[in-house]
Amino acid sequence: MKLLKKGAEADIYLTKWSNLPSILKIRKTKSYRNLVLDAKIRKQRTIKESQMISEVKSFGIPTPLVYFVNLANSSIIMQEIPGIPVHDLPDLKIIKLSKEIGRLVGIMHKNGIMHGDLTTSNFILYKNKVYVIDFGLSQKTIKSEDHAVDLRLIKEILNSAHAKIMEPALKNFLSGYKSVVGTMTYSKIMHSVSDIESRGRYATVV
Amino acid sequence: MLGLGVESTAHTFSCAIIEKNGKKGKILSDVRKIYRPPDGEGIHPREASRHHVENSSIVLSECLKEAGVKIKDLDIISYAAGPGLGPCLRVGAVVARSLASYYKIPIYPVNHALGHIELGKLLTGAKNPLVLLVSGGHTMLLAFLNKQWRVFGETLDITLGQLLDQFGRSIGFASPCGKNIEDLASATSNYTLLPYSVKGNDVSFSGLLSASKPIAKKNKADACFSLQETAFAMISEVVERALSFTGKKELLIVGGVAANKRLSEMLQDVCKRHTCKFFIAPQKYAGDCGSQICWTGLLESQVKSGVSIEETFVRQSWRLDSVKIDY
Repeated sequence: MKLLKKGAEADIYLTKWSNLPSILKIRKTKSYRNLVLDAKIRKQRTIKESQMISEVKSFGIPTPLVYFVNLANSSIIMQEIPGIPVHDLPDLKIIKLSKEIGRLVGIMHKNGIMHGDLTTSNFILYKNKVYVIDFGLSQKTIKSEDHAVDLRLIKEILNSAHAKIMEPALKNFLSGYKSVVGTMTYSKIMHSVSDIESRGRYATVV
Repeated sequence: MLGLGVESTAHTFSCAIIEKNGKKGKILSDVRKIYRPPDGEGIHPREASRHHVENSSIVLSECLKEAGVKIKDLDIISYAAGPGLGPCLRVGAVVARSLASYYKIPIYPVNHALGHIELGKLLTGAKNPLVLLVSGGHTMLLAFLNKQWRVFGETLDITLGQLLDQFGRSIGFASPCGKNIEDLASATSNYTLLPYSVKGNDVSFSGLLSASKPIAKKNKADACFSLQETAFAMISEVVERALSFTGKKELLIVGGVAANKRLSEMLQDVCKRHTCKFFIAPQKYAGDCGSQICWTGLLESQVKSGVSIEETFVRQSWRLDSVKIDY
């Protein structure tokens, strides 16, 4: 088994499942974390991820197929998507894909699911299709505040990792998002985004 | 080049003198007086600013004496212009402004948070780090990109310092309570599950604060332990996320909470996993001090020639990610 990436919370290996190239995502124990907390987080996220990754397929979000889940060691075996993370694509391409990403996020929200970790490395471009991965922090929720947390995060990521293209990328993202959720919901959620930002430290309120 | 830095954003009034030689800086003196609110209470901005006013001249003269420097030897004066408590900030600004205009010395307003980072870099030698700034005023993960510090994660409500202080005060400690909580927590290992709130690269501590208080009614030590374990695990997770997302190979921890041993132990473990170098600001300079302001002012003086007295405002909510850095 080849180690592909040491992610933040899991190690990603390239492996085989019934002769198909596949990904083993294993959430290993973190020695710095309290045992009780560690066990809870790993188990909860493994369950959540495997459920959600399949559920969002039903309304047309491209995600990897889940082959096998092992709760004993908090691991998931899933289909390999051999594309490139949006994070690593050229700037112009990211700007262009932002609209599609916005559309996908809109579909998830419309169906009552927040992704919880909307970073550009969690979208993979493969054969002209954008796949969504990493559902460990996702939640079933129809609250606009929760959906706003998603939008705020992608905004934060664009503003930091992709600062140079922040404006056009965000504009495209939002237009894709709005095209799915509709103007009413859109303005409600954008209002929640400002609410969350105003609660932050040293937000521009004074 | 000799600089004087004046810090007065919150409970600390401090003056420091640093001698800058090329890229090197030598702290000649760093004198502080810290306002202590009564047990169980937080900083009262008016009382804190009164404390600063009363102590400002003593701190300044001690600082000059210790460094063996006269005011007219100074090349620049910098002061913390924000973010912080308005009444406190104004005291430092008045001191700096008076000296600058009377002695005709160039004056530099400095962002307090930037000061933490620059001093941390000077003292640890970190080159291109991911910075974790944890204090009473900030909980932020930052990386430098394209002339600005960019936020890769932060708290959505209260800061780690506020979480510890507000909880500590609710069980009767005097602020800052970090040390007391750390000591009490080391007496136990009974963990109670508390709300763990990581939202992408961001954290939220308000629910954790509310949930910890009832536990403290049963057992204070257990509550301190569980609170620390949960909050620090949240911080460690977002640090891991940011390290893996940015691919940085250095982590630098600055700010008052950097003094916590348990937190740095956990983060050292994180760094080991990501084969990343671990830097932490020395305890004496992790918290608020004049040196951080002085050093940042000296760095800015490389490319700017100071501002006019009319521009020496204070800005209570001056976010670090809005500062352009040209040096």
